[in-house]
Formats: sequence, structure tokens, C-alpha cells
Amino acid sequence: MNPFLEHSANLTRRQFFHKSAVGIGTAALASLLTPSVFAASPSGRGLPELPHFAPKAKRVIYLFQNGAPTHVDLFDYKPKLAEWHGRQIPEELISGKRFSTMTGGQAEMPLLQEITQFKQRGQSGAWVSDYLPHIADIADDLCFIKSMYTEAVNHSPAITFLLTGSEMPGRPSMGSWLNYGLGSDSEDLPAFVVMTSRDKEASCGQIFYDYYWTSGFLPSKHQGVKFRGNGEPVLYLSNPDGMDRNVRRGILDDLEKLNALNMEEYGDPEIATRIAQYEMAYQMQMSVPELTDFSDEPQHILDMYGPDVHRQGSYAYNCLMARRLAERGVKFVQLMHAGWDQHKNLTYQLKTQCLDTDAPSAALVKDLKQRGLLDDTLVIWGGEFGRTPFLQGKISDYKQWGRDHHPYGYTIWMAGGGIKPGISYGATDEFGFNAQENKVHVHDFQATIMHLLGIEHERFVFKHQGRRYRLTDVHGSVVKGVLG
Amino acid sequence: MDSRLLLSFAVCTLLVFCISCGPHLPPDVAEAYKNLPEEIDINFHVRPILSDRCFSCHGPDEKTREEDLRLDTKEDLYGLKKGDRRHPIIPGDVENSPVIWRILQEDPDNIMPPPDSKLSLTAEEKAILVKWVEQGAEWKPHWSFIPPQKAHLPKVQQQEWVHNPVDQYILARLEREGLSPSPEADKRTLIRRLSFDLRGLPPSPEEVEAFVQNPDPGAYENIVNQFLASSAYGERWCWEWLDIARYSDTNGFQGDPTRSMWPWRDWVIQAINDNMAYDRFTVLQLAGDLLPDASVDDILPTGFNRNHMYNGEGGRIPEETRVDNVFDRVETLGTVWLGLTVGCSRCHDHKFDPISQKEYYQFFDYFNQTSEEGIGYHGRVAPILDLSDSIQQAELAALQTWVDEKAQALSAHETHLFPHKEGESPADSPNANELSGDDLYALRIPPDRRNPYFLRLLREAHEDKDPVYVQKLNELSQAITKRDNEASQHIQVMVMDNIEEERPSFILTKGSYNQPETQVHRNVPEVLPPLPEGIDNNRLALAMWLVDREHPLTARVTVNRFWQSIFGTGLVKTSDDFGIQGQKPSHPQLLDWLAVEFMENGWDVKALHKQIVMSATYRQSSILRPGLREKDPDNRLLARAPRHRLPSWMIRDQALAISGLLVDSIGGPSVKPYQPPGIWEEATFGFKTYEQDHGSNLYRKTLYTFWRRIVGPTMLFDNAARQTCSVTPSRTNTPLHALTTLNDITYVEAARVLAERIMKAKVEDPERLSLAFHLATSRFPKTEEMNIMTQSLEKLRLAYQQTSAAEELLAVGEMPRDMNLNAGEHAAFTGVCSMILNLDETITKQ
Repeated sequence: MNPFLEHSANLTRRQFFHKSAVGIGTAALASLLTPSVFAASPSGRGLPELPHFAPKAKRVIYLFQNGAPTHVDLFDYKPKLAEWHGRQIPEELISGKRFSTMTGGQAEMPLLQEITQFKQRGQSGAWVSDYLPHIADIADDLCFIKSMYTEAVNHSPAITFLLTGSEMPGRPSMGSWLNYGLGSDSEDLPAFVVMTSRDKEASCGQIFYDYYWTSGFLPSKHQGVKFRGNGEPVLYLSNPDGMDRNVRRGILDDLEKLNALNMEEYGDPEIATRIAQYEMAYQMQMSVPELTDFSDEPQHILDMYGPDVHRQGSYAYNCLMARRLAERGVKFVQLMHAGWDQHKNLTYQLKTQCLDTDAPSAALVKDLKQRGLLDDTLVIWGGEFGRTPFLQGKISDYKQWGRDHHPYGYTIWMAGGGIKPGISYGATDEFGFNAQENKVHVHDFQATIMHLLGIEHERFVFKHQGRRYRLTDVHGSVVKGVLG
Repeated sequence: MDSRLLLSFAVCTLLVFCISCGPHLPPDVAEAYKNLPEEIDINFHVRPILSDRCFSCHGPDEKTREEDLRLDTKEDLYGLKKGDRRHPIIPGDVENSPVIWRILQEDPDNIMPPPDSKLSLTAEEKAILVKWVEQGAEWKPHWSFIPPQKAHLPKVQQQEWVHNPVDQYILARLEREGLSPSPEADKRTLIRRLSFDLRGLPPSPEEVEAFVQNPDPGAYENIVNQFLASSAYGERWCWEWLDIARYSDTNGFQGDPTRSMWPWRDWVIQAINDNMAYDRFTVLQLAGDLLPDASVDDILPTGFNRNHMYNGEGGRIPEETRVDNVFDRVETLGTVWLGLTVGCSRCHDHKFDPISQKEYYQFFDYFNQTSEEGIGYHGRVAPILDLSDSIQQAELAALQTWVDEKAQALSAHETHLFPHKEGESPADSPNANELSGDDLYALRIPPDRRNPYFLRLLREAHEDKDPVYVQKLNELSQAITKRDNEASQHIQVMVMDNIEEERPSFILTKGSYNQPETQVHRNVPEVLPPLPEGIDNNRLALAMWLVDREHPLTARVTVNRFWQSIFGTGLVKTSDDFGIQGQKPSHPQLLDWLAVEFMENGWDVKALHKQIVMSATYRQSSILRPGLREKDPDNRLLARAPRHRLPSWMIRDQALAISGLLVDSIGGPSVKPYQPPGIWEEATFGFKTYEQDHGSNLYRKTLYTFWRRIVGPTMLFDNAARQTCSVTPSRTNTPLHALTTLNDITYVEAARVLAERIMKAKVEDPERLSLAFHLATSRFPKTEEMNIMTQSLEKLRLAYQQTSAAEELLAVGEMPRDMNLNAGEHAAFTGVCSMILNLDETITKQ
């Protein structure tokens, strides 16, 4: 294809009609006016070789539970813990293992029974704690992976590892990889959107570092766009005071005419890209306010997400936003919620944390399902590691009970997008300590996500500084047992 | 092992069989062979293949090496070492060279690289290896490890086009490729381009017109000289050094405390404006503190190696922080001066480049000798240079004495509370058994070095038990807070020093601070020239070694980076990787010529810049002639000038400059211009609040904008994150960028003030529009452009008849407006000016 036309193929319909004034023949136009052209946004079609095979999922919503939810209190029921409650954990489990500095020097490591009540749920009989009644209700739609394990023992490296495949910040995150490889299905929204929230008490001071959604060495247009939790959701989205959208439209139309003239002289396809870039900015200005306006949501839907749904920046608000973004073709929604780091406040803060997140998480799955979107949307719920089956603190001091970071075995769940519903996959040992049966390493988990999106993870590489990089580093195999 | 031996045997047998049937190439390889260059060079053709496809299993990294076979050294490749029975390559002997046999195999069990490696060779790559062996398989070290030399100037046909040797090399390549250079750009484009490249700002209309009307053939050179001498030159080139130096106004990480490194930044501006020789610039920043009788002016530049991030989080293991910082210094040195990705060797031997893990830690040893400790929690971690006056310094000294007293009192009390043996810590006392985790850790740290976090932990652990102890902890805490408050008022720059008693350095397994292996001593990698004999081998020696005339990398890497800044892409595209996996130079002889010339000129940066911008290559038009894009899509051959969007900081500075808002003063503490509300709060859970400045600080150059490391200035895009050293530019186009330049207060205010400027300067619409257009593009609008702008203005006039909207628009930004101007008119012109500020041509260097 003529390079000029090739670039023009990136333009939106609007531009094509304008373009005819500056020199594209109508015949050429006709050949380009296929619907697929309009599906592709100027921010990029994906790589021609992708997907490698027909995908099961077209988009991902990652409900990242930042701080590490306690698997032994929420999903991984171990009667043995009650039996051994208060007794020192068997030495063979902990010898040679790394914990954080907070329990690394602790003389006693007594086991701690679950502080919640477990029940088996639905047809599948999955164990879910009574702290999560809404998630329990949809257990038959979920696939629990109970044998996750990871390598890092501190939050930031572990989160970075899960999202980028490396503990050290700087490699592209999952959403950027997918945006780079698969392109965008939305004309007026970014393909990779990030939203953050935290518990109301701000019990932990963890920061959401922007390298959790960096594009790393991939072109920076693939980096996640952070939708803000207060004020304008997108920076600089609104026109200045005193400039309404009609005035802006007029200015942009004239700007485009002037740019088109310059394009005639310089022949630089970058100018066509610039024109498209400004047009997409305008489209975003139109679409984002509509996106964030929940007035078109029926009351029963809002109720499902809970009262926080109206508070911008809350987990509930972000969950509903995630569904609205998914509906509009956004490929990767990364929603991060902090507050799961119960070192010294397990006995009261876990309850609050579950209250804040349980209903909205379940509502999102139900909402997607009733709209038929769950079939090709992959929902993931999980943290960067689990929490120790043994106690942090003193057994006599109930108020200060806590659990430390625990990378050796933990639980996440997934739903939709090619995942087998109503199963529990893998298991930890009798104390919930080590992943034991059907172990799933972080790289296996990443390979599986790629697989669901039609990507063979070993073939999806990017060469940088002389090395071929991929999300799964040099490891990972698809977890076949969770595929539908 | 056994099966491997069997396989080798089978290979030998097959080889014999093959020889007997004579040389034959698979048809696709034979076809590719026909189109190969006449001479195959190991550096330009062969090593890229070996490195990319073979070295991961047969390269420098011992731990991943298969079959004990390596192909990255001459000895191994030819099997020259005593007792070698394997000869992977036999020069001149295609039939008997096992490597060739392997790559031409069809049997998946025998072919190399194995199919599952996904590194298979193309027919052309196979043909290259065959032809190279056939031609005698000549060995040379990797190109960038051979010291650069000036080659003879190549012959060209269009000699009249050539202005200086740069052009000679560029043109020779163009002629070889059947391309011709572009004509010179018109004078307006030229002065505008030059002004951005040398001053980071557009030329004033007066400068443009004076240049256009000056028929003197020396006019261009005069302008070049004038721009090189302007103080904006230092600020423009300082920006890139700040990205390289990972400069920021805060530490990064949790808490993200503020630091005051700006005097170092101002030193850089001054050094560049003074045209300090690059070798001196290097030595001062890496080791100025070690010069004999080092003065403040010698020590200040060493702030370079304290600009890295600093993790002072509570609960963080201090030694881990300290070691991370040393890593950062080593890797920054690797990128900036060596152009090598040494970071790979932190955890294992380099997969491609001959830098071993041991050699990495030999570098580490140079930077491991500073008194910096990982326990600091604020932005003034010692060693520091206190630039405050003597009264302030005396006050601080008094407070320090107070801290010392309280620390001693606490220490005495702890010895009493936690009796311990001589040489042990209170934490080793049986009485400390009650404490656990971080509390115990805190007790182990001597009181005078505990940070407030550790003091708090101990206080909490003893709250209800030991009021006397708690009081002593409180007293120390208060003293520290007082001292820190005083210190935070001082200008304290973090700098480098060397401790008296050396810290031993070890290879760290997987780069882990707590897994030392064998001890290593300072030295430079074997593949590079050795240090001179008999010197005091310290950081200063390392710095001197980098700028030695014989060093093969420093000059090349440096001139390449400057070339990249001006042309958008380096002669070596991978400006951070001159190693074996890096890209080969597009014009190797030009790169070497520039590097040698640079050194021969005494590392004179302005002379180098002048050489580049005086060339005919630089002065070409950037218009894309028909056919050029097909032949050279990335413009690596430079048959035209590049055309790129300006970096976001330059776009902002330009908007300030052409509106007349720019407050053009040099240096000083960083400033806080407009930023949307809530940005810092959201990133820090409300712990940091952005307090925007007012008045002239809103209009300083972007260079002076306060840089919070965990959430950088929001109005910038595609800029380095300033978290680690960065030398490669990013240029993307997203709608978010457009939203910034359309809606950020800075740009709306600039449009408003520009409107005021043109309304006051001219009376008629066309004159006003023409002036705004000229300010933004350095040329007058064409008729068609004028028509579009006029129509635009008319539409806006209609829209702003309603004065309330006009008043609202004119209220954006803090610069007062001239109330004598009609609001509707002013708003309409503001709209047009906003459009002009967003023109592709305005934000592009073309």
C-alpha cells in the first residue's frame, strides 16, 4: 500500500471526508472505507501476526487486590489450622523461607485459625468465607486457583512481578503488552485504562506506582491511562472555562484544514497522524463524560454495586466504570484496590475491606453476565501474594492479630472469557502454606491470560537492548486445567 | 552426556559423508548467496547473527552455556586453545566447518539453532555465514571495542554539495544507494530549526527577518555563533543531561521527601555555557571530590551520582537501599559513558557482551566506597555539601550536638535496660527477647543513626511499660525533628566522598545484597583498555580512564548522543547499547571521524555542535520527496532533514516565549507552575499537597519545574521518567498530548496573552493574525492559510458576542488582562491563538 494511504487508513471516517478536499481520490477512498478501518484507532492497530489463534476473551478486567488478601481466611479452608491454633508451625515448613522483616525476627510463629466462618457454596461446593457473601453467591461462575505462588516477599516487587513479569520496575505491564499486540477496539477511549482506590481508613500507605502500568520499552502510547479518582477522570479533558464544545469543534476543524495544507507541502504522514490525534482527543472529550455519567443505569444495577457506587474513586464506582469501559471496547481495565495488608489489624479491618469490595466485585461479574459480555470478558480477582497461616503478633493480643506476607501459596479467582466456571483448581498443603497440587506460578498465570486472548506467549516477544523480552520472561506454561 | 557423545560421533560420520558428496547449498540459501555484498565482515554481517541466535547458549554466560561450546571469542570459534579438539569454524573450509554443517541441516534433531528456540536462521543469514567462512572467516574484535580512527574521506561525485567532512560521509553513502541529498531548507525553516537545536526556543520575528534579509554568505555562521554563545544554549542542553542524570527534586518511593539538588543543576547549566571540555565535565562529576585539594566547585559536580532515587521507607533494610544505589551508579556509568547495558551482569554473566558478573562487581567496588548509608529518610542523606551561610551552619551544628547528647543518654539507658556483652548490641541481650521483627531490628541500630520510624517502633513497643525509656526515646525524636527542620531550610546538596577504611566488595549472587560470594577489587573490564600502571586505583582513575584518548567508547557514545539530539536518531540507533546486540552504526566512518575530531579538539562540545549544524546535511529541507520514503522509510541515510515533534518541554517553553510570558532567568530553586488539583494527593494518599506558585514562577522555563519523582510534572509527555538514567527519546502521539496543549491552563493563558500581544501590536485583523502566525512558525501565512484563520476568527467573534463566555475564557490563568481590550474581541483572538499554538508546524521542528 502507498505509505500515505497506509497512514490515512488510521484516520477516522470524519477525516476521510475532509481528506477528499486535499487530494485523496475517491476511488482510493472507497477502497478504504471498510468497517474494519474504522474499528482501528489511530493509537494503533495491533501486530499483523496477532492473535495467533482465535481468542476466547476479547478484553480483561483485572480487579487487583493490592496488599495481598488472606487466602486462609477467605477461600482456602484448612480445618487443620483450628486444630493447631496457637501451636508453633512445623519447622520444616518455614525453614529456609523468607518472610518480611516484620516476622523474620519473630521468635514464635504460632498457627492461627481462620477468623471467619467457611461454607461450601453453590453446585460446585467451593469454600468461601462468610465475609464474602456476594462472591459466595456467584461461586458457580468462578474458577478458583488455590495453588498460586510467587517469588517476591514485598508488595511493590511482587505486584511488579505479576503485572510485568519482572520484580524490577521498567518492563511493560500486561495491559501495555496487550495494547501493543492486539491494538484497540475503541475509537474514542484508550485501550488500557487504570483506576485505583483504597479502603476508607487508608490503613496502609502503599503507593500505586506508575510503573504498575508502564509501557516500559514499548512505545509510550501503550502505557495505561490512569482515570483519576477525583476531579476530571482524564487530565486536561475539559475545555477551558468559556469555551463550549461547539467553539472547540470549530477551532479543531480549522486546525485540521491548516494542518492538511502543511501536509500537502511536506508529505509527512506524521501530519496525518497529528490530525487523527486531535480528532481522537475531541472524541474522548465527548465520550468520557458520557462514560462517567451513571444516570442511564437502572436503580437495581446501581444497588447491586452498593452505596459507594456514587462516590468517584471508590472500588464500587470503579467496578461499574470497568463494566462501562468493557462495553465500549476497552481492552484492558486494571483496577487496583489497596487495603489488604493486615499485619496488625486482621480482626477488624478484614471485615471492612470485604464489605467495601465483596458486593461490587460480584456485581461486576453478574452485570457482565446478564449483558452477555462475560463470555468474552476475562475477569480476574487477586493480589500479589497471600498471607501467612501463622500469626504476626502475640496470640494473647487478639486486637493486634495479623498475618504477614506469604508468597508460597495463595488463592485468586477468574471468571468469563474462556475460563471453566464452577471449579477449584490446585491446592495448598494442609496448613495452607505451600502450593502443592497443580501449582500455578505467576508466569503460568500470565501465559494463561495470553492464551485466552489468542496469544502464544512464547512467540510474543519484543527486542530491546539486544534481548528478546516477553511478559513471561523465559518461563511459563498455559494452565490447561482452568480452560473452558 | 552419553547420548550427546553419540550424537557428536554421528555428526562426524555424517560430515565425512557430506564432504564426499561435495559442497552444495539448499536452493533458498544458494539464491540468497547471490545477493550478498562482495565482502562479508564479521562486525557488520556475521557477529550480529551469531550473537542474536547463538550466544544465548554458546556465548559469554557460563551458566547457560550448552555443550561447553562458545562462539564469542576467537580462540573458541576456531578452536585455537591448547588441546582443543573442536574447531567450530575452519577458515576457508565450508565443507568441514561444523557450524556451517549445523545451520544447513534439515533434520530437526541436528539443525542449529534448534527449532524450539524460535531463533531459526533465514536463508540470507545462512548464506552470510557460508560466504564468510569461504572468504577466510577473518576475525576482528567487536567494532566498538576497537579505538576509533579517522578513515580517509570517501570520494563523492557531487563534491560541490559538501560543506564539511560530515557531508562527505553522508553523501558517499547516499550516492552508493543511488540517492541524492535534498536542497537546502529555506532560511526561515533553517533559523527556526537552529534556534530549537541550540537554544530550545523559537527565533524572534526580528531575528528571522534580519537573517532572511541578510545576503551575506556568512550570515548563517554568524547566527550559529550567536546561538552557541547565548545562555539559553546551556539550558537547552542541560535538559538532556538531567534525563541522563535521573535528576529530580525528590527521593522517590514512599514519603518521597524533597531534596535540594538544584545547585548541581545550575552547575551543569554553567558548565555547558562555559563550554567546559567534556573530559573535564566527566571527571568532575564522577570524581571531583578526589581531585587534589578539591574545592566546593570540584565537589558540587559529584552530585551527579547522588541524583538517583533513594528508598528510605520505614522498615526497609538499609543495606539493601545502599547497595541498590551503588548498582544505579554502575549502570548509569555503563549507559552514559560506555554505551553498554552492564546491568545484565548484575545477576549473571552478560549473555551477549563480554562483561562478566565479576567485572560488574569490579566496577561496583569503585562506587562502593562512599560514606552514604541506606538509613537516611530525608532528601539530605550524607555526604552532603552545605551551601548555607556560616550562621546557619553554626545553628545546625548546635542542634546536632543536642541530638548527640540525647542519643548518648538513650544509649546509656538501653545498656541498662538490655545488658549485653562488650561488642554486642542491646538487641543481643536476653532482655530483648520480648521484642520481635522490626522492633528488634530498630534496637540493633545505634541510637544516633535511628530514623524516626525506628524510634517510633520502639516507643510503641514500650508505651505502657517503661515511661522513662519512652521519654528518652521521645527526647531524641524531638531533637532529631528540630535538627531536621533546621537542615531542611539549608541548601544541602548530596555529593560523593570516599571513606577512609575501604568497604570490601563481593560478587552478589543474583544481585542480592545479602548473598555475597567472592571478594573482588576495583578494575576495568578486560575487553577494554587496561588502567595505567602504578596509579592510585580509585574513582578518579576510573574517570580519567573513561576520557583517555585510547578509550574506544566514550567519545563515540557521546558524539552519537549529540547526533541523536539533533537528528532524532543516533548514527547508532541504540544510543544506550554499543554492545554486540546493539545496532551497527549507519555511518561507521562518520561516527569514528566525529569521535576522533571531538577528542582532537579537546572534547569541545560547542565545536562539535557547530560542526554538525554547519554541515549541508543538517541544512537540507525536510520535505519528503516522492520515492524517498519507500527507499529509506526511517531516514537513516539522511537524504533529507528529519521532521519531528518538539519534546513537550520545548513546546511549553515556546508557548511561554511567543506569548511574551516567559520569565527568562537562569537557575535557582525549582518552581511549581499550574498543575490540576489533587495530583500529588491522589498519588501519596493525601500526604503531599501541591502548593502552586504565583507570579513569575509560573512562567519560568520548564527546566526549572519541580519534579516529584513518583508523579512527575503532568504537563510533560514522552519525557524520561527520571527514575533511572535515560538516553533514548520517546516520540509518540496520543490524544492525551493534544488535550494537554489544548486545555492546560499554561497553554490557554499563553493563547490569551499572545492574543493581547497581537491586538496591541497591530490594528487590522490580517496584520494581527499574521503576527501570531509568524511568532509561532517563523513565516508569514499563505493566502489560503490567512483565509482559514480569518474565517475562524469570524466564527469565534460570533460565539463570543455573549460576553459572559468571553469573560470566563479570559479569566484563565493568573496574568492580569488588559481590561481596555474588548472582551469579545480578545476571546475570539484567544481562540485563534490557541489554534495557532496547536498547529502541527508550531510544535514540530521541520
